[in-house]
Amino acid sequence: MTGRRVRRALFAAVVALIVGHSLWPFLWQVLTSLKAPDEIFAIPPTLLPERPSLASYAKVFTLRPFVRYVLNSLLVAVGTTLLPLGLGAPAAYAVARLRARGGELLLRAGLVGALLPPIVFVLPLYEGIRALGLLNHPLALIVPYTALNLPLTLWMLTSFFRQLPSELEEAARIDGFSRVGVLRHIILPLAAPALATAAILVAIFSWNEFLLALTFMTADQWRTVPVGMAMLSGVTEFEVPWDQISAAVVVTTLPVVLLVLGLQRRIIAGLTAGGIKG
Amino acid sequence: MRQEGLLYLLPAAALLLVVLAAPVARLAWLSLQEVEVTPGGGAEFVGLAHFARALADGIFHRSLVTSALFTALSLAAELLLGLGMALILHASFPGRGAVRAAALIPWTLPPAVMAIGWRWIYHDSYGILTAGLVALGLLAPGTTWLGDRHLALAAVIVADVWKTAPFVMLIVLAGLQAVPPELHEAALLDGAGPVRRFTMVTLPYLRPYLALALLFRGVQAFGVFDLVRVLTGGGPGGATRVVALALYDTFYRYLEFGYGAALTLLTLALLGLWAAAMVRAGRSRLDQEAGSR
Amino acid sequence: MALLVPILLALLLGCSRAGPERGITVRFLDRPDRNQAWADAIQAFQAAHPDIRVELVEGPSATNAREDLYATSLLAGDPIYDLVFMDIVWLPKFAAAGWLLPLDARLAAGEQADFLPGDLEGSRFRGRLYRVPMRTDAGLLFYRRDLLVARALAPPRTWEALVEEARALQAPPELWGYVFQGKQYEGLVVNFLELVWSAGGDVLDSQGRVILDQPEAIAALRWLRDAIVRHRITPPAVATYEEQDSANVFLQGRSLFLRNWPYVWALTAESPRVRGRVAITALPGRADAVGISALGGWGFGVSRFSRHPEAAWAFARYATSAEGQKRYALRAGTVPARRALLHDAELVARNPHYPVLAKVLERARPRPVHPKYAQISDILQHHVSAALVGRTEPQDALRAAARELRTLLASPRTP
Repeated sequence: MTGRRVRRALFAAVVALIVGHSLWPFLWQVLTSLKAPDEIFAIPPTLLPERPSLASYAKVFTLRPFVRYVLNSLLVAVGTTLLPLGLGAPAAYAVARLRARGGELLLRAGLVGALLPPIVFVLPLYEGIRALGLLNHPLALIVPYTALNLPLTLWMLTSFFRQLPSELEEAARIDGFSRVGVLRHIILPLAAPALATAAILVAIFSWNEFLLALTFMTADQWRTVPVGMAMLSGVTEFEVPWDQISAAVVVTTLPVVLLVLGLQRRIIAGLTAGGIKG
Repeated sequence: MRQEGLLYLLPAAALLLVVLAAPVARLAWLSLQEVEVTPGGGAEFVGLAHFARALADGIFHRSLVTSALFTALSLAAELLLGLGMALILHASFPGRGAVRAAALIPWTLPPAVMAIGWRWIYHDSYGILTAGLVALGLLAPGTTWLGDRHLALAAVIVADVWKTAPFVMLIVLAGLQAVPPELHEAALLDGAGPVRRFTMVTLPYLRPYLALALLFRGVQAFGVFDLVRVLTGGGPGGATRVVALALYDTFYRYLEFGYGAALTLLTLALLGLWAAAMVRAGRSRLDQEAGSR
Repeated sequence: MALLVPILLALLLGCSRAGPERGITVRFLDRPDRNQAWADAIQAFQAAHPDIRVELVEGPSATNAREDLYATSLLAGDPIYDLVFMDIVWLPKFAAAGWLLPLDARLAAGEQADFLPGDLEGSRFRGRLYRVPMRTDAGLLFYRRDLLVARALAPPRTWEALVEEARALQAPPELWGYVFQGKQYEGLVVNFLELVWSAGGDVLDSQGRVILDQPEAIAALRWLRDAIVRHRITPPAVATYEEQDSANVFLQGRSLFLRNWPYVWALTAESPRVRGRVAITALPGRADAVGISALGGWGFGVSRFSRHPEAAWAFARYATSAEGQKRYALRAGTVPARRALLHDAELVARNPHYPVLAKVLERARPRPVHPKYAQISDILQHHVSAALVGRTEPQDALRAAARELRTLLASPRTP
C-alpha cells in the first residue's frame, strides 16, 4: 500500500512541476510588477515583494501610448475574429456537406499556406498594402490575419460539421428551409461551441502577432501591443522602465491567461477532438 | 449541389489566393529582378543572378546554420518535454482540466511580450535566473546570458521550448486518444512493463502525430522571428541571427527586394524538403500494414 | 463585448489614414528625449511659429531599430515623418533610395561653411546636400591623468606608446590598460576603422575597390587582437562591450585608457572614482602621422513624402541654428555641429575638452560612404569579431571579409 502512496505522491509532484514550469515566467512578471520601484532594482532580486504596491500599474497607463496600443490590438482582434468565421462557416459547410469540387484541395493547400512562417509573406503583402494605400489602417492587419487563420478555422469547422447527424438537415429541408436557412437556423446554432473555440484561437493569434504588425503599422498611434511594447525603451540601457514594463507585460498577458483557464475544456477539446490527421 | 457548394467556397478561396498564394508568385517574379526602390523605380530582369550570389553569401549561410541549430535543439527539447507532459496529463486525476490549461498557457501568450519578460529574467544584474543560480552555487556571478555567444542561443532556445512544448503536448494528447485501450490491456496480460508497453503499443500510434508536430514546429522554428528579434535582436555578434532576421534585414535594411525574394524562395525550398521528409516519416507502420492488406 | 463590437467597428470604419489635421504637424523620430532637450527646442520653436506643431516620436534607443522604422515608413511613401533625424551612416542609403529632398538651395553655401567639414561631407550624396548636421561625434582617447602624471608620462601619441604606457602602469584585473568597444556591432567597426586609417589603410580605395586585405588593415586587426592576448592590456570581456560597458570599466577606475565618444566626459564628473582625474586627447596615430577618428553624428533631412516640407524645414533650420544647437547641446550634453560653438564660452566652460575635440573633428573621417553601408558593416562586424575572439587569424578574417565585400559590391546594378 505504501508503494502506491509513494507513487501517487510522486505523480502529484510531477504534475506540480509541470504547472510550476508552465507558469513561473508569467508569475515572475506578476511578482515584479507588484514590487515598489526601488525594490525592482534590488541586487540580488527579492523573491516576494516586501512592500507590495500597485504603483507600477498606475504608471503603466501613463506610459504615453500604452492604452492606445491596447485599443488598437482590441480593434484588430475583434475584426479578425469575426471575419474567418463569416468566411469559414459557409465554406466548411460546402466542404463537409455539399462535397464542393476542390474543397478538399482548398483545405489542404490552405493549411500548407498558413503553416509557412509569416516572413515569407511580409514583403509582397507590404507591397500590396502600400499600393492600396492601406498602411496604418486596421484592415492592413485584419485581412492578412483573417487569411492566416481561415485554414485552421475551416479545418476545425469542417470536421465538426461532418460529425453532425445529417438527418437534422434533411428534416429541415422537408420543412421548407432553404440551404442558407438550414445553415443559419440549424447548423450554426449547433456549431456554436466549435465556432467559439475557433474564435478564441483566432483572437489569441491576432492579439499576439508581431511581424506583420511591426511592418504594416508604421505610425506610432497604430501600433499593436506586442510591437509597441517591444519599442519601449529608456534614454539609456540603464533607464529601461522595468517597473512599468513588467506591469504592462502582466496587463497584456493576463487576458489570455484568464481566457485559457476559463475556457480550457473547450479549447483543448476543440484542438484534440476529431483527431488531427496529417 | 456541387455548383452551389462552389459559391460558398469562393470568398474563402479568393482570400487565400490573394493573401497566401499570390505573395509566393510575386516572390518568384521578384527573385529574377533587380528592383529599384526609388519612388517610381522600375525593375530589371537579371535571370538567376540573385541565386548565384546567394550560393556565395557567407552571411546568409551562417544564418541558415544558426536557424538549423536553433531548430534542431529546440525541436529535440520540446519533443521530449511535450511528450512527457502529454503522457502524464493523459492519465485521469482530479483537476486534470485545470492542469492541462495551465500547461497550455505558455503557448498562448504573445511571444514578443513574453520575450520582454524573458529579457527581464535573463537580466545580468536584476534577473532572477542569474541570482537564483548564483545563490545555489551553480554559477559565477556576472554571467550575461544574452551577451555571450553560446549562452545567448541557449537562452533563446529555453524561452522557445517553454513556449512550444505545450503545442507538442496538445498534439500528442490527441494522438493518445487514438490508442485503443484494449491493446494496452493485452500487452499488460502478456506481462509487458511500462517501457515496453510505450514502445510497442503507444509509439506506433503516436508516430503520425509526432511527425505532424515535428512538421509544424520544424517549419515554425526555422522561421522564428518575434522571440529572437525582441530577446537578442540577432546578437551578440550574429550568434542568434536566424534566417528570418536575415530576410527581414535584406528587405527592410538593405532594401534588396529581388535578392531578398531569392533568399526567401531558397528558404522555402528547404522548408519544403523538411515537410516532405516529415510527411514520409508520418506514414505510420499501421498505415502501411493496412495498405498492404 | 456586445457593446464593444459596434464601437470598435465604428472606429475601424472611421479611421481614414489621412485624418483631418488641425493646423500643421511636423513629426520626427528619435530616441527618448534626454533631459527634455527636444521638448525645450520644440517649445521655443512653437512660440515663434504658433501655426506649426512639432512632435517628437520617441523610438527605441538602439539606432538600428530606428533606422528600420524610418525605412519601412519611407519605403511605403508614407508621410508620417516629415523630418528624418539620421545618423551620418544612413545618408547614402536614404538618399540613393530617393527618400530625401535635396537641401542645397535651402542652405546657402556661405552658411554651409559654418558646419564642420566632415559632417557636411557626410551629408552629401553624389554632390547634393541632403542633411543639415545637428550634433557631431568623434572618437576620443580618455586617460587617467593622475596616473600618467605620477609616472611623469605624457599621453600616448602612437598606438605603440599606448601599449608601453599601459604595460608599465596597469595591474589587472584591478586596473586594465585599455578598453574599447569590441562587441560584434557597429561600434566594433568604428574602433577597427580608426586603427586601419591611422595605419594608412582603408576599406575601399578612391575608386571604390576593396583594399581591406592589404597589410595596413591586417596590422590594425592584429593590434586589436594583440591588445588582448599578447600585451594583455585589454580584458577579454571587451568582446562583449558596447560604449556604456567600456565606459563603466573606466568610470569605476579600472582602466587607464578608454576609446569612446565625447558623451563620456559628462559621466566622469558624476563618478567619484575618477572625478577630476581624467583628461582627453586625440586618438594615437603613427610616428609620422596623427591618429584619425571616426566621425559620427546626427542631422535632419526632409522627407520627400512630407506634406509640409516648408514647415518641416523651418523646424530643422531652427534646431540646427547656432541658438538651437547650443540650447540643445547644453541640455542633452551632446556636441554641436557648428564650428563656432566648439569655442563658445558657456559650452567650453562645461566641456573643457572642446578645443581638443575641435582639432580631432577637423580631420575626422566618415565611414565608407556607400548606399550598401549596412551590409558592408555587417560583413566587417562578423569577421573582425571572429578575429578579435581568436576564432580566425587576422589575415584570414580580412581575406574572407574582402571576398564577401567584393561579391556584395559586384552584385547587379550597384548604385
